[in-house]
Amino acid sequence: MAHRLLAAVLILGLLSFNCGKKSGDISDVSAVVALTGDVDNFNPVVATSSISSEVNSMIYPMMFDVSFDLRLSQLVYKPGLVKSWTFLNDGKDVRLAIRNDVRWQDGTPVTTRDIRFTYELVGDPLVASPRSNYVENMILTDGKFDPNKSMTVESDTVIIFHFSHKYPQQLYHLNLSPIPEHVFRNADRMSLATYPANNRPLSAGPFKLERWTRNTEIVLSSNPMCVLPFPAKLQQVVMRIIPEPTTRLAELKSGTVDVMWPVYPEDAKVIQQSNTDIRLEILPPRSYEYIGWANIDFDEWRKSGGKVVRPHRLFGDKRVRQALTYAINRAQILEAKLGIYGELAISDFSPVFRWALNTDLLPYSYDVERARQLLRAAGWFDTDGDGILDKDGVRFEFTLNYNAGNLRREYVATVVQENLKQLGIKVNISSSEANVHKQNIDQKKYDAFVAGFSVGLAIDPSSRWGDIHNTFNSTGFTHPRINELIKLGMNVSDEKDAAKYWKEMQEILHEEQPCTFMYWIKDIIGVNRRIKSTNVNILGVLDNMWEWKIGDPNTYATF
Amino acid sequence: MLRFILRRLGVAALLIFGLLTLTFFIIRLAPGDPVTLYVQDDFDPNFAEHLKTSLGLNQPLHVQYVTWIKSMAFGELGTSFSKRAPVLDVLLDTFPNTLLLTVCAYIVNLTLGLLIGILSAMYKGSRMERWSGNVWLFLYGLPEFWLGIMLILLFAQTLGILPASGMHSPFAFSYSPLEYAWDVVQHLVLPVFVLGISSAAAVARYMRASILDVMDREYIRTARAKGLGEWRIMWKHAFRNALLPIITLVGLSFPFLLGGAVVVESVFGWPGMGKLTVDAIFTRDYPLIIGCTLVAGTMVIFGNIIADVLCAIADPRIKIQEKQ
Repeated sequence: MAHRLLAAVLILGLLSFNCGKKSGDISDVSAVVALTGDVDNFNPVVATSSISSEVNSMIYPMMFDVSFDLRLSQLVYKPGLVKSWTFLNDGKDVRLAIRNDVRWQDGTPVTTRDIRFTYELVGDPLVASPRSNYVENMILTDGKFDPNKSMTVESDTVIIFHFSHKYPQQLYHLNLSPIPEHVFRNADRMSLATYPANNRPLSAGPFKLERWTRNTEIVLSSNPMCVLPFPAKLQQVVMRIIPEPTTRLAELKSGTVDVMWPVYPEDAKVIQQSNTDIRLEILPPRSYEYIGWANIDFDEWRKSGGKVVRPHRLFGDKRVRQALTYAINRAQILEAKLGIYGELAISDFSPVFRWALNTDLLPYSYDVERARQLLRAAGWFDTDGDGILDKDGVRFEFTLNYNAGNLRREYVATVVQENLKQLGIKVNISSSEANVHKQNIDQKKYDAFVAGFSVGLAIDPSSRWGDIHNTFNSTGFTHPRINELIKLGMNVSDEKDAAKYWKEMQEILHEEQPCTFMYWIKDIIGVNRRIKSTNVNILGVLDNMWEWKIGDPNTYATF
Repeated sequence: MLRFILRRLGVAALLIFGLLTLTFFIIRLAPGDPVTLYVQDDFDPNFAEHLKTSLGLNQPLHVQYVTWIKSMAFGELGTSFSKRAPVLDVLLDTFPNTLLLTVCAYIVNLTLGLLIGILSAMYKGSRMERWSGNVWLFLYGLPEFWLGIMLILLFAQTLGILPASGMHSPFAFSYSPLEYAWDVVQHLVLPVFVLGISSAAAVARYMRASILDVMDREYIRTARAKGLGEWRIMWKHAFRNALLPIITLVGLSFPFLLGGAVVVESVFGWPGMGKLTVDAIFTRDYPLIIGCTLVAGTMVIFGNIIADVLCAIADPRIKIQEKQ
């Protein structure tokens, strides 16, 4: 009797499990997006994570409607909150006229006071905004951003920004979403990042924040008051935080998640073969991986307080660096790990910026004999017959570091070890936790390492090359002509005028090989086919989320 | 008993303070910079230094310690670097989720472990007992991460009868309270199974050994001689006496359950403290690490105190020895 009762309960329980959708329920007008991590802040002035930036762009009014024209390979600015703009005073001043019909969620109009206040916060050292570089080309007093001299408010709808000079990224740096001045005016600036109002953002964008459960989900709902450009067509978007990639993929495949990224290349192949209800969107690459070689002796450089710059005993000679690039079979690694979702890198100028690419340059081929010749020319021989090259008593032996848990970089390190062994170079492999690895790279503690870098939407090589003290100049490479080219390229009126400087810069990087540029990585996004009208692009996966629709194009929110 | 509890509480307070002080210094001496991970490639290069200053990380270590002691004295756990929110708020958001998961796993763990242990002892030597022992040993040896992924692939992706992750469905906020509760139960099935099943094997083994030890005692022989049935002997006489080592085991196994929750929470996207702690460590979120250590340490210490109290309740001999 007890057995029958138990069996009945089990059967009823199984029958009552229901993980599918009920017909006519909210999921017919809503979408589910899987995120790798949570937002850190709903305040665009202090938010640090890229996910925060994407989500905030849905809530706050965007100054411009920005798109990336792949044909022109550049950002295109259209009116958003700013309905028109004019360059004055030889391009050093930008006059913005904003719309007068945009309102915050509480009915307060969005005015130029909000814009001025936002940039005042960005430039205030007490706030420590990660975007304080947006104002570094405006008017400074005693080396500090001067809001009174940098911004002139003519009326509630007209504001003029004053720059020290005209440069291509002016509109880019004016594209920071304003925050409501009447909400934040009394906030303590030192603790702005933890101000309670950050987590109850007032919306003027296509979505508003419905609910946020930390580490669990973010629920956005359509904002009926939005006029930039209109209230989101989906009634709701639920963003679930699912850090584990296998779980995210399982959710996408089972249909409980509509959009997720990144899809790994090995999973992409499986999805394409077996899942007909998922489409894969491939983004042009903005991230690349490289092997960094210490171009200078960092120990000596540190001990001398940055005064002594001596070539590294192994990698200081460009012939050696060229040899290493020739000796590494990058095509094999690319084929094994990325396939069609990657392409060989020649420099750190993304293929996205076609107008800036030096197409005369070809990738270094895999040529072990050429590598040997270069090493001999640089004076490396196996004088003691131990199978390892040496020069002036120094063995060609070093440790190649990568961040633990990154299987692709682990593979790269293993292949490099094998490839260089043929030349008589001994490579030891070491891995560190990601945080430690990044810190060691920033502090220039490695002789050689595998790492990655993401380029911005506007070309700006100044942080990557140039001064050795720059955090992102992880190889310590400097070249007087590179510094000149950066200065010239960053001070042109039109972005495309800098093409000749960037092409020359790529020639120098190609010749000098401060690091071995491995490959560009294309992002893969998985989208359930029931989601229509997506426009996944390099600006972001959620770029036009207000236009997304479910299934039948006639099904969208009405008010 | 009251004096015993008060004494243990006093010792517990000292233990927790020592634990937190040790944690404070260890995490700061570990390599890795708390601000490094927050700096993206297109940020202001000076942002890292600004952030360090605003977080007080540019102060000498002893100054940071004194500042921390002062804030702890007022019950201030500080602000999480990564969450940009008071540590207490972050803990209050996540602790109930872990409590739900671990309590349910504990119930599964104990229920299955005790039942299997008793049945194994009663049917000792039978073919069924041997087979079930091997099965439980196999389950005990399975890595939780692997088991979790396999169950997701089977039940969520292939069969579609259970959810893959999370604490509730994406649109559960539109459900009635009863529907929401049932939705959470469905989401609990797989993580509770993974967390509870592997350590149930250990409980079963201990219970079996303990029962077999008790079943050889004179009072059991006397009960049999008086004609009592096996089940009555088991539940009324053997079980309570065999339970004593299990109570101690339960108290000691609590940290392992909490540790296992880290893996299970990661795999199933369960928004609990295990995952929070791991993330805090990887991001060097010092205030949050201390907060998580405080909660975990308190739970472990109090778990042991409760185990001792339950032992005293279950075993009158302990009470008599105390009086003496």
